[in-house]
Amino acid sequence: MARPLGESHKRFLQTMMANGIVDGDKARALHRHCCETHGAQYTPDKLDEFIEVINAQLQPMFMQIRKGLSEEDGLQYYALVNMAETDVTRMSADYADNELELFRKTMDLIVDSDNGTASSTDILNCADSLQTKKLKKKETEHVLNRLVQDKWLIEKQGEYSLSTRCIMEMEPYIRRIYQDQVKVCHICHNVALQCQMCENPTCGIKIHTHCVARYFKGRTDPRCPSCEDFWPHEIPEVYRPPSSQ
Amino acid sequence: TSQVQRGLARLTPAQVDLKTAEVVQFIFVKDQKKIPIRRADIVKHVVKDYRNIYPEIMKSVGRTLDTVFGLMLKEVDVKNHVYILINKLEPPGGELLNMTPSNPKIGLLFVILGIIFMKGGVVKESMVWNTLKKLRVDPGDRHEDFGDVKKVVTDEFVRQRYLEYVRIPHTEPLEFEFRWGQRADTEVSKVKLLEFMGQLHDQDPQSWTQQYRDATSSQTVPVSQR
Amino acid sequence: GKEKASQLHAEGSSFDPSAFAENLLTFMGLNRLEDEGDQVEGGASSGYLPPDAWQRVANRAQCCFRTAPTFHYMMGSFLAELPPPRQRVE
Ligand SMILES: [Zn+2]
Ligand SMILES: [Zn+2]
Repeated sequence: MARPLGESHKRFLQTMMANGIVDGDKARALHRHCCETHGAQYTPDKLDEFIEVINAQLQPMFMQIRKGLSEEDGLQYYALVNMAETDVTRMSADYADNELELFRKTMDLIVDSDNGTASSTDILNCADSLQTKKLKKKETEHVLNRLVQDKWLIEKQGEYSLSTRCIMEMEPYIRRIYQDQVKVCHICHNVALQCQMCENPTCGIKIHTHCVARYFKGRTDPRCPSCEDFWPHEIPEVYRPPSSQ
Repeated sequence: TSQVQRGLARLTPAQVDLKTAEVVQFIFVKDQKKIPIRRADIVKHVVKDYRNIYPEIMKSVGRTLDTVFGLMLKEVDVKNHVYILINKLEPPGGELLNMTPSNPKIGLLFVILGIIFMKGGVVKESMVWNTLKKLRVDPGDRHEDFGDVKKVVTDEFVRQRYLEYVRIPHTEPLEFEFRWGQRADTEVSKVKLLEFMGQLHDQDPQSWTQQYRDATSSQTVPVSQR
Repeated sequence: GKEKASQLHAEGSSFDPSAFAENLLTFMGLNRLEDEGDQVEGGASSGYLPPDAWQRVANRAQCCFRTAPTFHYMMGSFLAELPPPRQRVE
């Protein structure tokens, strides 16, 4: 029998519902505040155990608080995800059918690219050939803005990529639907979208940008961990969050 | 019906759990836009052939909402069996407040509910529109944060049951008035609203004698303690 | 209406929606320095409101509301379909 939840657990879960995703630091602060607010025993290093108690109760609802690494900055995040795909979950009214079709086409473009991005031009072209209902240019831009605001996509200089929240929730879906296209990172073995690729045609492994930064840190002659060929890409700096100086 | 009952006899606890999960999903989907939930829709879209054990399923749904999420269903229309999803936890304060993102529409709602409450429970719509105009929100214009303001206030807030918007009888031309809706009655703390009013006016909340009495007396019948 | 208003007044402070709007504009961070003294239509203060004006009100007003948080998701909101075969020329 799963352990019953206290007010502190419920508060944590409700805040996760309201946020969708929080970074590790915020999750730890939230853990503390929830315990203090409701007079529950607080053990600083036991966040994951605290979440496990919630997850045990969420399981029958096909929901979960998942922990994962961001492709953006390589940091740890926690996201509340849905795992059910039913007639009921498809009634979700956040996006219309053609908006969801646009999102799916955007995913197709992103997964099919070498570096995990899709240009706004290519997405706008898709919008012209939607089966459900065409979207005008203005409407498409509006939908893309909403997808960014709702934390499903990330936009940088007209290039769109899948957000950390999106990948955390959709990873099983991405592995299933795009099994022929999608590669996993050679270093961390998670789905690799925003990444660098070995240019040796017989190798072609992918490594996340943030995994590249950590793996090749301080090496003067970076070589592919699989085929030993020279790694021809720029090695980014290891990302440091502004708070941990 | 005997066929249905034979089917029910074979229903395992796992199947009841599955139906419970589906009803919870359905409630969350409907609540995404804060639209009240009709019993008829729960039966039609989710419970379907299991309608004979609807009470058992709903008991299990209520238990899950309470023990896992700290939420509960409240019937706002006993005749037509319409429910809203409400929170059993106190609104967050202090640090937790900073961690909870808020929708700008809550600000708009506060202004309207605030005027109604401070004016004794009912106001003509002109008073609401005039005040909003002073706050740079014009029902005739598209607003940066709210879009079509008139629609948000007289349609969305009304369907969500935050507001009642009714015609005043025997008026020519037509006049409408606003009151608090059932959702506002259950969700909004009049005491906390009055505190915010006091902060804004740099005034003791108790100086509004009538409103203070109203706020403190209605607080004795909370939705649920704990 | 009138009777109730005077009754309220007799029993304590009255509530003036115009004063309420003025105080709320201040709370929203109205920049009154621009065009000081000017009045826009309706007799309210002129000046510029910051873009987060309503967010400020919402953040403060939120603690008056006991609203249930809403659950949003992407997985499960559409039917999983295989993407069309690759069209790229390798
Ligand atoms: Zn990696
Ligand atoms: Zn290689």
